[in-house]
Amino acid sequence: MSISQRPRGWMRAGAIVAAGTLGTAAACTAPADEGDPDEPTTITVDVFGNFGYSEAGLYEEFEEMHPDIEIRERGTGMELGDYDERLTQWLAAGSGTGDIIALEEGILTRLKEQPDHFVDLYEHGAGDMEEDFLDWKWEQGHDADGDQLLGLGTDVGGLAMCYRVDLFEKAGLPTDRDEVSELWPTWDDYIDVGERFREAGLDAGFLDAATNTFNAILMQRAGETTGYTYFDEAGEFVVDDNPAVKDAWDTTLGMLDAGLSANLMSFSDQWNSGFRAGTFATIACPAWMLGYIEDQAGDAGEGKWDVATIPGEGGNWGGSFLAVSSQSEHQEEAAELARFLTSPESHLKVFQALGNLPSTVTALAEPELLEHRSEYFNDAPVGEIFGTGAQELDPVYLGADNQPVRDEMENALRAIEEGTLDPGEAWETAVNNAERVGR
Amino acid sequence: MTRVHTPAPQRPDSRGSPPSPAAGKRWTAWRARLDVKYSPYLYIAPFFLLFAAFGLFPLAYTFFVSLHDWHMVGDREYTGFDNYAELLGDDRFWNATYNTLGIFIIATIPQLLAALAIAHVLNRKLRALTFFRMAIVVPSITSVAAIAIVFNQLYARDFGMVNYLIGLIGFEGINWQAHRWSSWFAIATIVDWRWIGYNAVIYLAAMQAIPRQLYEAAAIDGASQWRQFWHITVPMLRPTIIFTVIISTIFGLQLFTEPLLFGSGAEITGGSLRQFQTVTMYMFENAFGLFDYGYASTVAWMLFLLILIGSLINFFVVRRISSAE
Amino acid sequence: MRTVETESSRQSSAAPRKRTGGRRISPYGEQGRGGPLAYLTLIMVVAMSLFPIYWMFVVATRTNEVVGQTPPPLLPGGHLLDNLGRLLANDNANIALGLMNSIIASGTVTISVVFFSTLAGFAFAKLRFKGRNVLLLVIIATMMVPIQLGIIPLYMLMNRLGWVGELQAVIVPFLVTAFGVFLMRQYAAQAVSDELIEAARVDGCSTFRIYWNVVLPTLRPAAAVLGLLTFIQHWSEFIWPLAILDSDNPTVQVSLNMLATGYYSDYSQVFTGAALATLPLLVIFFLFGRQIVGGIMEGAVKA
Repeated sequence: MSISQRPRGWMRAGAIVAAGTLGTAAACTAPADEGDPDEPTTITVDVFGNFGYSEAGLYEEFEEMHPDIEIRERGTGMELGDYDERLTQWLAAGSGTGDIIALEEGILTRLKEQPDHFVDLYEHGAGDMEEDFLDWKWEQGHDADGDQLLGLGTDVGGLAMCYRVDLFEKAGLPTDRDEVSELWPTWDDYIDVGERFREAGLDAGFLDAATNTFNAILMQRAGETTGYTYFDEAGEFVVDDNPAVKDAWDTTLGMLDAGLSANLMSFSDQWNSGFRAGTFATIACPAWMLGYIEDQAGDAGEGKWDVATIPGEGGNWGGSFLAVSSQSEHQEEAAELARFLTSPESHLKVFQALGNLPSTVTALAEPELLEHRSEYFNDAPVGEIFGTGAQELDPVYLGADNQPVRDEMENALRAIEEGTLDPGEAWETAVNNAERVGR
Repeated sequence: MTRVHTPAPQRPDSRGSPPSPAAGKRWTAWRARLDVKYSPYLYIAPFFLLFAAFGLFPLAYTFFVSLHDWHMVGDREYTGFDNYAELLGDDRFWNATYNTLGIFIIATIPQLLAALAIAHVLNRKLRALTFFRMAIVVPSITSVAAIAIVFNQLYARDFGMVNYLIGLIGFEGINWQAHRWSSWFAIATIVDWRWIGYNAVIYLAAMQAIPRQLYEAAAIDGASQWRQFWHITVPMLRPTIIFTVIISTIFGLQLFTEPLLFGSGAEITGGSLRQFQTVTMYMFENAFGLFDYGYASTVAWMLFLLILIGSLINFFVVRRISSAE
Repeated sequence: MRTVETESSRQSSAAPRKRTGGRRISPYGEQGRGGPLAYLTLIMVVAMSLFPIYWMFVVATRTNEVVGQTPPPLLPGGHLLDNLGRLLANDNANIALGLMNSIIASGTVTISVVFFSTLAGFAFAKLRFKGRNVLLLVIIATMMVPIQLGIIPLYMLMNRLGWVGELQAVIVPFLVTAFGVFLMRQYAAQAVSDELIEAARVDGCSTFRIYWNVVLPTLRPAAAVLGLLTFIQHWSEFIWPLAILDSDNPTVQVSLNMLATGYYSDYSQVFTGAALATLPLLVIFFLFGRQIVGGIMEGAVKA
């Protein structure tokens, strides 16, 4: 047996354990840097989903400018919820985060009260970037007091409506994107088109899921009216009082009532395969979802998806920031990289590579952006679709507990789709459940 | 134990001769006495140390935490048994308890009955007996995460194989995650798939230890196979059945990974209406989803009590049932 | 929970087998011999036991077109290498490191559990010391305690130790188990002869030498089974590694979870990961299945 030489080592392990219980073990984290001056400094960037920095060649570019720096990205392809959970653990533990942390707008809102976790980017010369950005995006990046700059904007979530050309054709609907856009100036028109689609009797839903559609409508309505969703700017829980919420809810229920939904769960495996298999014909798509669709539908899906305008008036859903963690040992370098990645030039490159819509005015005004077409989406003029009006996008305020409340609202919608919750009682159920986590 | 305690050996240590024979003798004798008397504690110490550090301490500390308003961030405040009071009135906790018990029952009873039946079939002269035995144990050595991924796909609503088969016989496919009954059923099959064979082999071992003469005598008395099974096999297996029921209780009430991965992995609420959220999932939701450590710890302790009570009830029920024969 | 001595089973199998008269032979066969229905039942049970594993490998060798294909494919395809390439290139799952970590962690735990369990089992079975019976009872009682319920303080403890995300966090808490100690105690009580120990003492062996030279060789078959079971169990450990590790430094189960819950659904890649995570277990089972099953069966009778 191979254990012959080991006992002493195990005893040592035992001693460490014993010391640990007495609380005397050094509770420190190992120094990340071994201190070799020739070793390049590694900057770790924590992201979720896809930020497109590798695709746009930005890391490479930065590394070329700084030969002593190596960039490592973690988390691409990770789901937002998992990312959030892990990030919160790291922040609470005081170790583990990367040097740069991507913050989705909901996460940022929650962490505004704890600015200590982040480096003040004003101290790293980010102040002169102010005029590049959309005003509200720049404002959103501050802490609760408005003194510290926590994050620099990456993208904004201008809304459009993506649709399956092949399914529209089979259902006898127009397939040209301009004609399609004209079909649905309002959400009611959208429902009418859906009914026509349904009557064609194809084995596919008109829309993917109530949840996804609800979120898009809610962000649109909130942007037009109150400027907030589940919480007002004072942090009060207002699900029951905010007309935008009820409005979006009723519109969504109308779609369910008409039997338009494929009843999928957003971001589930089934939903993901739906992009490829064509189990739904339309999906409300913020700019950042284009890359997602392309990834899910794969090569076989090229040319099958196209982009039309969203019913109603524009709207803004999602968008993120880059922050520098105060756990970082290379804050100066990390801040420089964050500034580089959020510069108008980088924004533009990411947009061209992936579709994420810039949050800098400068990039949004670039002719290169406005003229950009996406080959994958039937050569759709995505620059024009998303870029026009992007400067007029309205910010929507999200509360600190936005995510758990949103989960409860979505769960109620899903339960209706699954046939386990009566639509008539669903609103009350949703509000009650949301109140438990939100108040 | 009949061992006579002999005095320490008188021979010098083989490894080297001591400087003075007399002093050396005394030294070895003293050392040997010490060795005999105290070394056993050294040998069993690792378990107790490790258990104290990583078993007992966390559990006790969980109790301590459960007496506080304790979130990941912010102040902690001693609140006595407030968390427990809140939990007792928490319909989500009771929902999770209901789900856990429900899945436990619809998983465990068929599992053990099937295991018993398979063991019974295996308990005879068969060709390829070793192959059969080994093949049915294979599921229990697989990793639950890997298997849950497979089953999740088998039970998928749109392109799953189970729904495909249901479609073949002319019925509408089922959205397995959507309903309470269907999700419970699907989760129970994942659990059972892994453990039926394992339990069958355990029963088989116990069956083979039953003296053959008992059956022969019964056969001469004209008892049918069925009667023999119920009147000889089952009562003789009683201790083994109790053992498997208690093990199943301990693990079944902590059910977590199967329902979590069944719900697409990310769904700690166990379905849109929490139709398959187990108590352990609820604990995790509070601990790592809402970062409410105090409340999550309370859930943990209630689960501990539940397991204790469940094991005791099962112990007495099974003892009763199998001795009633 | 001691049940029946193995002695009786040996007797019975040695006893001459008599035909029990020709009344009503069931299709399963009489008590002694299996009939056609017995085979049919067992073949069905085996098929159901093996199918999900088989299908895992089928999907692992195919493209994503498998989803939505009717009827679902039942034979392996030719895309295993392709899938494997994508899987290994997936930084987010980091499965190569995951496999390596799992081998290190489960291997370390296995060696440690075997060592400490045989040592403690020997002490409980063959050495006399104060409080022996009480302490043994305590160990048995701890088997009832669901350790994972202490996961939150355990996490805090690891955080204090600076072990969050470190491999030792999934090794150290598992270094010795109550089950192992108890199992080894049962074997040692029966298999190690007192005379041999006495003789060794007279020869001047220290207690540890007795363990090393006399007890351990005797316990080897049982210890091997314990080792195999420990390895298999630790390899599949899911909840704790998931809580304490991340994809930077995962075990194979953590990698698998990253794959399964990731943003993009690449089924064939996920299934390839599942197959890769299962393969070592199947290899072990293929090589030592007989001993493992024998161990489970013996453990059942002895426990």
